[in-house]
Order: sequence, then structure tokens, then C-alpha cells
Amino acid sequence: MQEMELHDLSDDADYAASMQQGSSSMMRSDSSKRSSSSESEGAELVYLKDNVTIHPTQFASERISGRLKLIKQGSSLFMTWIPYKGQNSNTRLSEKDRNLYTIRAVPFTEVRSIRRHTPAFGWQYIIVVLSSGLAFPPLYFYTGGVREFLATIKQHILLVRSVEDANVFLVNDFDNRLQRTLSSLELPRAVSIASGSSTPVSSGDSPTNVNLERTNGGLGHDSHSLSQFHGRQKQKAQDPARDISIQVLEKFSLVTKFARETTSQLFRENHSNGFGAFEKKFDSQSALDFDHKASNDTETIVNEIPVAPDPVEKISSRKHIHDEEAVTNVGTFELIDCKEFDKLTLVWGKPRQPPLGSEEWTTFLDNEGRVMDSNALRKRIFYGGVDHKLRREVWAFLLGYYAYDSTYAEREYLRCIKKSEYENIKRQWQSISPEQARRFTKFRERKGLIDKDVVRTDRSVTFFDGDDNPNVHLLRDILLTYSFYNFDLGYCQGMSDLLSPILFVMEDESQSFWCFVALMERLGPNFNRDQNGMHSQLFALSKLVELLDNPLHNYFKQNDCLNYFFCFRWVLIQFKREFEYEKTMRLWEVLWTHYLSEHLHLYVCVAILKRYRNKIMGEQMDFDTLLKFINELSGRIDLDAILRDAEALCICAGENGAASIPPGTPPSLPIDNGLLYSQQEDEVL
Amino acid sequence: MARTSNKNIQVKLVDSFAGFVLVLDVSYSRGFKIWLSVLIDTLLSFCQVLLGDMGTGKTSLVLRFVKGQFFDFQESTIGAAFFTQVLSLNEVTIKFDIWDTAGQERYHSLAPMYYRGAAAAVVVYDITSMDSFERAKKWVQELQRQGNPNLIMFLVANKVDLEEKRKVKNEEGELYAQENGLSFLETSAKSAHNVNELFYEIDFPFKAHGYILLAAKRLAEANPSRQTGMKLHTESHGSGRRGFCCS
Repeated sequence: MQEMELHDLSDDADYAASMQQGSSSMMRSDSSKRSSSSESEGAELVYLKDNVTIHPTQFASERISGRLKLIKQGSSLFMTWIPYKGQNSNTRLSEKDRNLYTIRAVPFTEVRSIRRHTPAFGWQYIIVVLSSGLAFPPLYFYTGGVREFLATIKQHILLVRSVEDANVFLVNDFDNRLQRTLSSLELPRAVSIASGSSTPVSSGDSPTNVNLERTNGGLGHDSHSLSQFHGRQKQKAQDPARDISIQVLEKFSLVTKFARETTSQLFRENHSNGFGAFEKKFDSQSALDFDHKASNDTETIVNEIPVAPDPVEKISSRKHIHDEEAVTNVGTFELIDCKEFDKLTLVWGKPRQPPLGSEEWTTFLDNEGRVMDSNALRKRIFYGGVDHKLRREVWAFLLGYYAYDSTYAEREYLRCIKKSEYENIKRQWQSISPEQARRFTKFRERKGLIDKDVVRTDRSVTFFDGDDNPNVHLLRDILLTYSFYNFDLGYCQGMSDLLSPILFVMEDESQSFWCFVALMERLGPNFNRDQNGMHSQLFALSKLVELLDNPLHNYFKQNDCLNYFFCFRWVLIQFKREFEYEKTMRLWEVLWTHYLSEHLHLYVCVAILKRYRNKIMGEQMDFDTLLKFINELSGRIDLDAILRDAEALCICAGENGAASIPPGTPPSLPIDNGLLYSQQEDEVL
Repeated sequence: MARTSNKNIQVKLVDSFAGFVLVLDVSYSRGFKIWLSVLIDTLLSFCQVLLGDMGTGKTSLVLRFVKGQFFDFQESTIGAAFFTQVLSLNEVTIKFDIWDTAGQERYHSLAPMYYRGAAAAVVVYDITSMDSFERAKKWVQELQRQGNPNLIMFLVANKVDLEEKRKVKNEEGELYAQENGLSFLETSAKSAHNVNELFYEIDFPFKAHGYILLAAKRLAEANPSRQTGMKLHTESHGSGRRGFCCS
């Protein structure tokens, strides 16, 4: 394999050309440039590359360019990266910043791996990960030459391509390869990358419960001092947990001083900010677990301990490291290691149950048809959804069209009255003559909008397909009637998406209308002209991400993505475009239970983002790319897994989560509500 | 590029100040070649935003261009969508970034976010709807008022396959475009008529010319060394554009 790799490189024309230019001109290095200059003789410059740059922020003007060198001394190879002096014209980057990022003579014995990123478009960069798990900021090769860099290293030390990832090159990877491969295959095993002071977490009810005790090889310890770390290297090499965490780190290290500041600030806040309130809501078992979690969180907020498989809880922890001592040895850098969500699922949401069936449904009703324990019903639906046959009846409750304490007879009566009421409203627009319409621009416009949209709403679903489908006409009639019922709001793109499944389930015009009305009582603000409802939800979402995944939050902040517009479609139409039809209905009924939170949809957003966080940050997605990526997730999200994550996140966030969502944020009912649909008290958390 | 003769090196220069891709043929000495590679490695992108009334076929135009697909009942765009297409034109590889926006007036307030960073705005109307033409004019006015002066604007009359239902005459669109200095094109996403032309062939000859002259001037001023190359690039990137596109 090594040979192949060398071959691969020497084959390359660019490589050959670059060899002529740069590295062939070997020369003595200026030892004064190295701070760890115990070695004073025999240093040989084997590689030099100019204009290797780091991007401390997303602003182009704040890039720091420098010179990357490989220096050979005896049998040791060192890497340095020294920023150019006085080159940055901008004022925002100080000399201090440059010093902060300077890499002074790092021996390759301390390098764990090098990840390369060589996109077809854009700059090539590498991320150098140290044995300790710390990583330097990505080094961008403005003039290309990553291959050459790697080839040069290879001439001097052992460098092998990772089996798992062709873009990762492992340094000093001798006999450990098999072990590492094995441990990576067993990723869901307990690993620890958190600080040793955290409390072990246990989940009592599972045989697969995993021992979470910190090993001494845990990353947090070692990073304190690199010299210390040095002595312990051997010990760590035998710790399989370390290998896994390092792989995680390699992929997702992010480096900014900004993040450090923010995190340390939050860190302080969190000390006085316990997670104590769980007992109130959950059974004792859970409460116990949450207490553990709480104590974890108070230490490093989002401390992450990837934990074992289903159905054990997994608490993630993150260790944020910055050590001044490191400056003298290897330059200053810092690291945010991240959760490995691609493989290690957040698995401590309860397993999903089968949907509520007819038989079970009747057990919730008394003999006159009242729902005896609406809370239990909502809980049941929250965990399993509803059998499709039952949806017609149950959705009316969930949406608030039927009162839980209504009897069969009362509901029958309600349907009857509401039917004639609907017909009345419908007649308002039906009776508009063509003459009148000609002088009624608003009406024509609205009808035009609706006509345009209904013909392109879910036409691939059998219920709506084909020419002149009566259900498409129903969709139009209901929407037009609604735009008269709620003339102020009118029709908005997205409403047809919300109505479509309701009509599909209800198969009755008036029932569909009133259920839609009930839904719009909550979601109407999504369509406000001033975008207020959307803004407040996206804002709350940003707060939740800040709480539940601070590195991701910081990433969005750095990349001007804090407006969360890439989640606009998710929130506006409740993920209608993200799942197939049946899954959408399942998700909706779960959301509508408002069981854990009225704002579970926001936790669903967080859950999805978390699942792809590593990809998002690893690929350094900017807003455009992110929006494209998010839109393209459509149809590829595993609903059950996401619901479990969302549940877990919601519980984990607890009162802090609830506090992140300002009162009145949709789909909360407006405070002055209650004109038509008396909502159950217990629905409002 | 394939030709390695020093006499004829193709230079691609990104001028993201204007959000525009520049294509140049310049001859330079061997030493300059390295600098060129800086630019060649660089992302070349051309960012466009599609605006227009709902149901005029914005998404259909992009999908036709990017994927060669057309759906009779293309679902409405919620929020915005972002598409990319990479094309090789005359030995130059260009990445097209295309923002597709929601058409309804209600979502108008989101549009500036998308057109702010664009190099070109494509305002679409539906030839079977006079209202959509009126709406297109409003978009043009808004762009003229708020957009950057370097923004390239196209007026596109879509759905020409529905000739029998035409309400907006070709001349009307053309006249309006002329009066306002826009490029004008009649297209059909359904039949693919003029779609490729819209997204690339037209763009370059028209307004690129001015940028090429500007870039040539800059190149002449710049001492062609690596550092200068960097600097030029860095400067153009840091020029305070705040849009999402092409940043």
C-alpha cells in the first residue's frame, strides 16, 4: 500500500514539476525561527511552500498567509508554519493573532495524521492532527501542492493512507493499524473523549449498558500539557477509545479563537445554571440519569461521551482545550472536538412504538366517547403515531377541532353545525359573479394564486394525480374558502402543502376545512407578511442549537448562517417536503400531541442538524452550500431516528430549552385565542 | 490550458468584487505560470438569482438547465433553493450558482438576501399572464433601485410553448428590456427553448467585456509574481460584498 501511494504521487505531473521548483532547493534552515531549538545543527530544509494560509474567520481580509516548511534534523522531521510579517493590511488581525497561530517546529513524532482536502474547485487544504487529538487550523495551499507536501513527508517518515478514509494519511502508524481498524468498526462502543473530572454516566435498565469510566488516556488529560502527554504516549496507544475519538477529531476539528471565547463564557454561565428540574417531569429512573447528565453539563456544557447502543442513553460531551503551555512547543492552536453523529446515533430517545390501533383507541374512551385521559393518549401517540384508519377521528382531537371531553353525540352535532357554517363561508366567494370579479382584484389575485398552487401540490400522490382530479378542486375550494374565513391572512404558498394531508385523511370537505382552520390557528403566524412568526421560530432554533450544540452554533455564526434560513422550509410547512407522504403524516401527529413540548418541531430541526453537523462543518459549508445541502436532504431523513433524537434533545435541554423559546413563538396559541376552538388546558405546557 | 506554450496561456481571473468571472487570454513568461495556477485552482463562479411572479417557471428553468428535467406540475418553491451547475465553455470551467426564489409577493422581503450577492438577476415572467409581466417590471425597478450597478439583468419571457395562450407580446417584452438596458430572451423550460442560451451563452459576450478590460489593466499594473497574485485575489475577495452568493 505504501508503495502504491508513492507511485501514485510520482506519477503525477504536478508533483514532478513542483519538486523541481520548491523542495529541490534544499538549504539550511534558519534555526532562529524555531523556538524549540535544542537542535542546532544538522537541520535541513526539505520542503518549503509559500502562501500557505489559514482562515481564522470567514472574512477574506482576515486571512493569515505564511510559509510552510519541513525540516529534517537527524532522523526527525519537523513542520513549521510562520506567518509573514507585516503583510496583512487589515487592522482586525493583530500581531497577537499571528503569533497565536504560528506553528513552531512540531516533530512528526507528535503528529497523528494529516487529512487532506483537495476539492475540484476551491483551495486545497490540510488539517494536521496531533497524537493528542489536537488539531491545527486548516492550512490552505493557495498555490496547490498538497500532494507534494505529502510526498515529501513520505520520503522521510512512514506515512500511510488510512484504510477508512482515502484522504487521511496516518503518521507513525506502525503496528497499531489492525487494532485501530477493529476499534473503528466497533464505533458504538464506549469511548471517552471528555475530561476526567466528569461523572460517569450510567443507564440502569439496559444490559448493553456501557462502562463510561474515563481512562487515563482520555483526551482531556493529555491535552493539558504536551510535554506531559509525551510521556504518556505509550499508554494511550493501547487505549482503543483514543483511536476512535481521534478519528472523530481528525474529521471535525474546528479552530477559532472566537469559539474559545464563547465557550469559556458559556462555561462560566453554566456553573450557576443547573439542570435540576427533571424530576418533576419524568419517572425516577430517568430523573436519575438526567441528574448525571446535569452534572456533566455543568462542567463543559456539551461534554460529549459517545456511549453505547440502543436503548441506552448517550450523552455527548465535548472537551474544549486551550493550553498556553503549548505555545512554546508547537504553536498555539485549539480544538473543538465534535460529536460523531454520523455513526453514533443519539440513541436515548425511547424506542418508537407501533401506531395506535382501533382496539387500543377504544380503551381511551369512556362509553359516551369522551377521551378519559388525554395526557395518556397524547403520550401514546407521541411515541407511536396513529393507525391510518384512525387518523380521521384522532387528528380532529389533536388539532383541537374536537374537544377531548366531548361525547360522540356532541361531536356529531359539531360536525353538523360546522358543515353548514362552512357552506355559508364558501358561498361568499361562490356567489361572486364574473362581473363582480372583474372589479374585485384581491379576489382574482387570490384565486389565481390558489389555482396555480393546487395543481402542483402532491400530484404524484394517487389521491391527487391525473387530469381534472376532484380532490384538486376540493383543495382549491377549501383554500379559497379559508382565504375568506381569514381574509386578513389570505392565501400563502405553503398552505396547500399543509392542507393536502388533512384532506387526504379526512376525505370530507367541511371536516378538512375546520381541521385546517384549527391547524392555522397555530401555524398562521408562519405566513405573516412581516415574517414575524418565522423569524421568532428561527430565532428560537438558533438559541436551541446554541444550547445543545455550541460548536455548531459557533460555526453558523462564523459563516453568517445564524438567520437559519436554510431551515425555512422545514419550519414553514412542518417538514412536509422533507418526508414522503406517510412519514409526514406520522411526524405531524407526533408534533400535534404537544406532548413534551409545543415546539418539538424545533428540536426536530436540531436533531437533523446534529445528525449532519459533522458533514456541515467538515465540509465547511457556507450558506449557499448549506441551503442546497439541506434542501437535498429531502426524502433521505430517517424519521424514527430523528424523532428519538428530538425527544432526547428536548428532554436534555429541559427548562433551559424551554427558556430558549420565547412565549408566543408559533405554534403556541396566541394568548387572546379561544374564539372558536377551546383548547385543552393540559395541552399548553 | 492544454496547450503549454508560453505564448498562449489562458488566464482565468475571479473578480468577486463584481461577482463576475473573468476570462482572459494572456501570454506570460514561465515565471508567471505559477501565479496563474493560483487563479486556476480558484473557484470560478457565476452567481445568478431568479426572480419573478409565482408560477412563471423559475424552478423549471433551473431544473431544465441543471438537470435537463421538466415536470408539468413542478411544486412551488418554499423559501429558496440553490442550484449549481459546472460547465466547460471554451476550455474554461465555470461554476454556476443559481438562486431560485419563492415567487409569491408575501415572501418578497426575503429576496434581497438572495439578489444582493448576485452577478446576474434573471427576472422571469409568463407570456400567458399580463400580471406576471407587470410583476416582472416591479422586480426590475427594485433591482435598479437597490441592486448594485454592476448587476447584469435579464428579462425572460417563459412558456413560449403556450403560444396560443400568449397575453404578452414578444415586442412588449423586448421594448421594455431595451428601454431599461436589459438582455431579453423568450424561453420555454418545457421545450428547452433558449434555456442554455439564457444561462450562459448570452452572459459572457455582453457585459463581460468591460470587466475583461478592467482586469487586463489590473494585470498590467500588477507585477506578476506570486504575492501579487495573491494580493489581487485577496483584495477582490475582501471587498465587502455581503451577499451569500459567490462569497
